[in-house]
Amino acid sequence: MVSMLTVRKGALALVLACTLVLAATPARAQDAPADPNPGALTIVGSFDVLNQYMFRGIQQNNSGVVVWPAVDLGFAVYSGDGGVKSAGLNFGTWNSLHSGNTGSDGPSGKMWYESDFYATVGLGFGGGTSFSATYTAYTSPNSGFTSVREIMFKLAVDDSAHLGKGALKPYVILAQEFGTEVGTGQADGGLSAGTYLELGVAPGYAASNASLAFPVKLGFSLSDYYELAGEDNKFGFFSVAAIATIPLGATTSFGAWNLHGGVEYQALGTTTEFFNGGESSQVIGSIGIGFSY
Amino acid sequence: MDTPRGGALRRLTAVARCSSRVWALVGALIAAGAAPGWAQDSADPNPGAVTVTGGVDVLNAYFFRGIPQDDSGVIVWPYGDVGFSLFSGEGGVRSVGANVGMWNSLHTGGAGTDGPSGKLWYESDFYATLGFGFGGGTSLGVTYTAYNSPNGMFGTVKEISVKVAVDDSGALGAASVKPYLVLARELDGQADGGASEGTYLELGIGPGYAGSKANLTFPVKAGLSLGDYYEGPTGDEAFGFFSVGGLVTVPFSSMPTRVGSWNIHGGVEFLMLGDRNEAVYGDSSHVIGSVGIGFTY
Repeated sequence: MVSMLTVRKGALALVLACTLVLAATPARAQDAPADPNPGALTIVGSFDVLNQYMFRGIQQNNSGVVVWPAVDLGFAVYSGDGGVKSAGLNFGTWNSLHSGNTGSDGPSGKMWYESDFYATVGLGFGGGTSFSATYTAYTSPNSGFTSVREIMFKLAVDDSAHLGKGALKPYVILAQEFGTEVGTGQADGGLSAGTYLELGVAPGYAASNASLAFPVKLGFSLSDYYELAGEDNKFGFFSVAAIATIPLGATTSFGAWNLHGGVEYQALGTTTEFFNGGESSQVIGSIGIGFSY
Repeated sequence: MDTPRGGALRRLTAVARCSSRVWALVGALIAAGAAPGWAQDSADPNPGAVTVTGGVDVLNAYFFRGIPQDDSGVIVWPYGDVGFSLFSGEGGVRSVGANVGMWNSLHTGGAGTDGPSGKLWYESDFYATLGFGFGGGTSLGVTYTAYNSPNGMFGTVKEISVKVAVDDSGALGAASVKPYLVLARELDGQADGGASEGTYLELGIGPGYAGSKANLTFPVKAGLSLGDYYEGPTGDEAFGFFSVGGLVTVPFSSMPTRVGSWNIHGGVEFLMLGDRNEAVYGDSSHVIGSVGIGFTY
């Protein structure tokens, strides 16, 4: 779950968290005849359709439809009552298929714009605190960009035990690119590998029939992440979104399925505005299905 | 189906893998997963209707249905499959399942990082299979596969294939040969890079021996063109390849664990090529060695 959230490029990634929240709702759990998957391996998948793909505020397409198929395999390695409450490993692939200018209508003529592979080691501590380290290889099968390799750390706090429905679920992400050459291996195509910082909260409300989430986040460059004409602009983007997730029935022998959709508004910084064709903001709509087993 | 839950799905996985070149190795995995000792575990970590299968294999050469792809450097095949058991019953149709999966081929040699693209990721296939199980161990699977080359070494090939297989172990026991037939039709793009989309026929058997500590299988298969599948300078050649292999699969544990059933497997395959593939490859035969790990959950 952690890795899916960290790899997915937009606030709409929170649908998976909503899925798991709903799956854990006591009323639904009591409806299920039995846990279809009591083992230590979890699979989470999703299929989303969007009008726009922005990676940390950086525009990836300006026309057509975007489709995101993704799957994640998680291994619960350890759980206990000590300082470290849980440890897990996740592996997954995340993909972006484009019909527009960076996909089948673009110079490559090919739809498959992006394919990411990642591996995450996650630790859970007391008080709802979690820490994870993720290695991601962002690749472009249609050569829309050069491969980016990145290590990312995420620290998150689930404060719902203390704050209940007023929980904010704050998190911080720090990511470092491994690019070694000018213009390659970097999200901004700049001169040097960048360091990225993201601060966010993910408040929400879970009911028996649906959940709502209102993720808010800010993306910054700590170093060379949002380069433009040789200058690194620190502010990348501000994002606020509203996401609804509706479970498709109770948990069955096929796991828990849901329908989700949302709207995200992004206000862009100098570099990201330039990449966005001079527009200072972007509105993203999405709808999709997801499952957790 | 006379195998425990997941048996039909594992067969479907084999169908998909067949479309993705690795049917033999996964066949060994399947055999391991179907071993009675594993099935009798009372604490099944995954009693639901979703099965996950995956693995990583390392090879010295890659031939796709006898068509040379690469015999330099190291080749790595990571793959994953998710299966859904949609129906099981006692009527004419005993089981119905759907599988979706991804199969990849990473190359350090001429088709990968040492080649003109300079990129490792030679092939990435997506597939979806709908499978049916009938009485007598007979199964039918229909698979759609898109073969893609992320490093641009070949054009995308889209294919529909049908596999009919018979698990005759219920009737013949240890003497079973598990025959199968694969019929594939290219819809767009071509494996041989020829003038027309082709039609492929594969006939094979998969006899084996399942022991308490390891499984042995000896797959034998022949690949034929029913039309334009092995196109060469002199036209379409009917005979594509003949192959015989020996595979051993050793489970990590005698029972499924909370993270499923894991195994290490390896084998050797002798490949004899038809004239068209021999002309492309420059030799009439090749020996392929492989080793890997796999799991079923």
